[in-house]
Amino acid sequence: MHLKYESTLREPLVDGEKNYHQVTEDIISPIEAKPGKLWYVGFFISLLLLAFGAFSVTWEVYYGTGVWNLNKTIGWGWDITNFVWWVGIGHAGTLISAILLLFRQGWRTGVNRAAEAMTIFAVMCAGQFPIFHMGRVWMAFFVLPYPNTRGPLWVNFNSPLLWDVFAISTYFTVSLLFWYSGLIPDFATVRDRAKTKLRKLLYGIASFGWTGSTKHWQRHEALSLVLAGLSTPLVLSVHTIVSFDFATSVIPGWHTTIFPPYFVAGAIFSGFAMVQTLLIIVRKVLNLEEYITMGHMEAMNKVIVLTGSVVGCAYLTELFMAWYAAVPYEFDTFYKFRAAGPLGWSYWIMMTCNVITPQVFWFRKMRRNVAVTFVMSIIVNIGMWFERFVIICTSLYRDYLPSSWGYYRPSWPEVGFYMGTFGLFFTCFFLFAKYFPVIAVAEIKSILKTSGENYKRGMEQYEGQSAEQFEKGLHHDDHHHDTHGAVAHAHN
Amino acid sequence: MAVKNFVVASFDDEAVLFPAVKKVRTAGYKIHDVYTPFPVHGLDHALGLRETSLHTAGFIYGITGTTTALSCMSWVFNSDWPLNIGGKPHFPLPAFIPITFELTVLFSAVGMVLTFCYLCQLMPFVKKHIFHPRQTDDLFVMAIEVTPKTNAEELKAFLASVGGQQINEQKAEAGWWYGRYDREDRLFEQKAGTVNA
Amino acid sequence: MKDQFVVPARLKRTSFVLMGIGLLTLLIGLFAFHGEHGSTRFWAGLLQNSTFFLLIVLASTFFIGATTLAHGGWQIGFRRVPEAISMAVPYLGAVLFVILMLIVFLEKEHIYHWINAHHVAEDPILSWKSAFLNKGMFTGFAAVTIGAWILFTIKLRRMSIEEDGWDLSPATGRRIIWRNTVMCGGFIVIYALSVGSTTPWLWLMSIDAHWYSTMYSWYTFASTWVSGLALITLFVVYLKRNGYLPMVNEEHLHDLGKFCFAFSIFWTYLWFSQYMLIWYANMPEEIVYFKPRVWGEWRPIFFLNLLINFITPLLYLMKRDTKRNYSSMVFISIVIIAGHWMDFWQMVGPGTYKELVFPWYELGLGVGFVGLIILLVANQLTKAALVPKNHPYLKESIVHHT
Repeated sequence: MHLKYESTLREPLVDGEKNYHQVTEDIISPIEAKPGKLWYVGFFISLLLLAFGAFSVTWEVYYGTGVWNLNKTIGWGWDITNFVWWVGIGHAGTLISAILLLFRQGWRTGVNRAAEAMTIFAVMCAGQFPIFHMGRVWMAFFVLPYPNTRGPLWVNFNSPLLWDVFAISTYFTVSLLFWYSGLIPDFATVRDRAKTKLRKLLYGIASFGWTGSTKHWQRHEALSLVLAGLSTPLVLSVHTIVSFDFATSVIPGWHTTIFPPYFVAGAIFSGFAMVQTLLIIVRKVLNLEEYITMGHMEAMNKVIVLTGSVVGCAYLTELFMAWYAAVPYEFDTFYKFRAAGPLGWSYWIMMTCNVITPQVFWFRKMRRNVAVTFVMSIIVNIGMWFERFVIICTSLYRDYLPSSWGYYRPSWPEVGFYMGTFGLFFTCFFLFAKYFPVIAVAEIKSILKTSGENYKRGMEQYEGQSAEQFEKGLHHDDHHHDTHGAVAHAHN
Repeated sequence: MAVKNFVVASFDDEAVLFPAVKKVRTAGYKIHDVYTPFPVHGLDHALGLRETSLHTAGFIYGITGTTTALSCMSWVFNSDWPLNIGGKPHFPLPAFIPITFELTVLFSAVGMVLTFCYLCQLMPFVKKHIFHPRQTDDLFVMAIEVTPKTNAEELKAFLASVGGQQINEQKAEAGWWYGRYDREDRLFEQKAGTVNA
Repeated sequence: MKDQFVVPARLKRTSFVLMGIGLLTLLIGLFAFHGEHGSTRFWAGLLQNSTFFLLIVLASTFFIGATTLAHGGWQIGFRRVPEAISMAVPYLGAVLFVILMLIVFLEKEHIYHWINAHHVAEDPILSWKSAFLNKGMFTGFAAVTIGAWILFTIKLRRMSIEEDGWDLSPATGRRIIWRNTVMCGGFIVIYALSVGSTTPWLWLMSIDAHWYSTMYSWYTFASTWVSGLALITLFVVYLKRNGYLPMVNEEHLHDLGKFCFAFSIFWTYLWFSQYMLIWYANMPEEIVYFKPRVWGEWRPIFFLNLLINFITPLLYLMKRDTKRNYSSMVFISIVIIAGHWMDFWQMVGPGTYKELVFPWYELGLGVGFVGLIILLVANQLTKAALVPKNHPYLKESIVHHT
């Protein structure tokens, strides 16, 4: 066993007087209680939205994609905008659970479970758009690589749209596996303290017979690390491939090499904003302020200002290159149809929401203000929605042929479809918040003695020691020599 | 496996658990397992468990995915139905990279999770004996198998001396079986129905 | 505790020998290269080496900046190493600035086509770009960015040494964190706006003056950042081997290894994104860059680049043991630095002297720069204790476990 030490200058990740049992109690008891009135209200509204979305989609499938305001010039509109927006939102969950795990950011333990859930629901919402954009959805399986019935003609492996099929489905599967493998031990905790038979039965099934055996934990940790290692390039690849949908084309405003990393940064940016929106509500409603602390929100706000600025740099790079390239089409797209022109307003909404407003987070006071964070999280998501709208529509609405120029506004089934995905997302999220441990119980326990407020008080004794004294103390304390240096490792 | 006798002790602190594990092992007792509510770093080594090879399996699954993707796509484009798509070559390697990468990750992740579930015998409807209901909450529960050579009373006293609490003897199935957690299965009376691990 | 570095005579000798080789190569180059073409190679070699080595020592300042802003604790045990490396920035910055100015004001038009006023007047694209690609802009940007890097680097180093005279109280700790965070925040902004955008456009991308790629600067950044990490690793291992840095162990090395692994993949990701998109769209104004590199003389280098900078670190660093072994980390660090040096070579060469020749001259200069860096860093390491003893996160670095 190693000395559990962390600088006392670091904020505790778990506030209050906690022991292992208290952690279980705090996180699991909301599952065992009846949901409050607010939950029912929220759930009902979500169901209504979902129903309206289902109606809009049925309308579209019945009458054909013609009911959407797409035409020959603007072939992609709200549908693909929403697709990219939802996929992007999903990225924060994977980032928190995978990349921050590799970077050993302790604060991820408070938010990873909910963020991963958000990822899965967001990807589910995203998937709807390309599927229903096909119009004849019963033919959707045509995108899968199988030799079709008119001879062995296959899908086009050169097409970025097909890469998307692989990317999104892999992403969904791997995220689901990652999330569920983390949930298994926590379900076992719910099962073993369950008082009702039904709960014992259901959580018993869901926990796959988990006991907490040391060997199983060892494998579980190896699995989590490798899945994190796999998910890290995976999350990059997914939005990269989404950006390829545009960047492999030769449409001015779409074909630019910076798209992959810039899309990824934007995705993380909007994803963190959505995590903030959700968790500010969750921590309040479920009384989890001691686990999702101001420190957690501040850390996420730092990620938001970082990624927002990266995105800002990319916008400026694009704008500069549109001039520097000395290609007239590129120049016109950016300077005449994007920053100006009938849809120019959307460009400035994007710039304001994504680049200018997030700069408030350079200030600690703002990062630690719940109201500011909440408002900003919504502004960022509006901004990121407009980013996709700007990329898609302002590149398309001015065709090479001026007679094809047009303007685009959505029809009601398009808006309804978008609202429906909100319904789907929140319906899932409400169910998750009620029936699942919204914080990873086991992971909180494993950082409790390093980062819990009451345990950190015990570390003050070390702070005055010089490095030499501290090191000497370490070796002196170490009675268990065989365990020294033998932390559970998994290679990655 | 089979139904066996165990002496079970609980510990409420890792700082007590680690020395206890060491003492129990030096005393020559064979620890069946230690159940913990969260992964305790270093406990696997303290128990003398070997490193898992799960990552190696993951690597092999990954390579399988890479090969599958590359060979399938090039077979389709070169021999099954060669097409000229936008003047691109029949083996457009850069265009194959995204799908190849995705399948590598997919094969590796799915394969590893299945292997993990297989090795740990995890599946819906699988049931195992829980020595202490708080082993998934806040206790570290050590189970030691009672063999014909073991003096159970001596062992209990020894465990108490190294800091164990709530020490008791349990007769339990050491493996897994199909069952429901809302029912008490009396396995040692119907050994024939036991599914062996 | 062995906390004060003394430069061993052998190291000093080695650095002088390496610098001697560099200087000799420069002299041979001066006399051996004839005519317009020879002069192009002479200057291209200098440009390639000085930008590469400046940017990889600058990566150390970036390392300090990034880890400080991320509130990292693990690296404090060896923080003095990137500090010492970063102090080579003023010297290499000055060298590069002189070389850039000579290229521009001696009008080496085969390096930068946009320098020649006649060319520009006849070429509509170059005249369109002349608002950006001109001597004034080039000089101004170079002076401001190199100046800002030097200022921030020196400031961060001074602050760190000054803190050794402070005490260990939490209040002091808070002060240390705060002022470092502010200074690093400033540096990162400057760094992002220079290395992440304008700097590579002006110094390297404008060699192929018609060509453009929005990814170029981020790609260059990735290349120098991973080499910079490898350079830090080399010095850490050197000190460790000589009995210094007692608090640094395989755990820290393992993390440096992970960084090298991760950012090698990151570099490949940016490399692939840039190449694949240009290959896929196949537009004349873009593909021109890859014509000589992929379908011309430089083809072997194109594949070698990928082999050394992607496949090798990927397979080699995947295993846990190689990241925790001092010798194997030395090997892979050298491979990474050499690989990215080659990457810079293929960025500069095909646009300037065009043909693929054995780079004896470029390599010789590179050896000289390596000698210079060794001398400067070794000298800097002696100037302060090897452990920032009052840093509040130092103890986290001591108990650090991967």
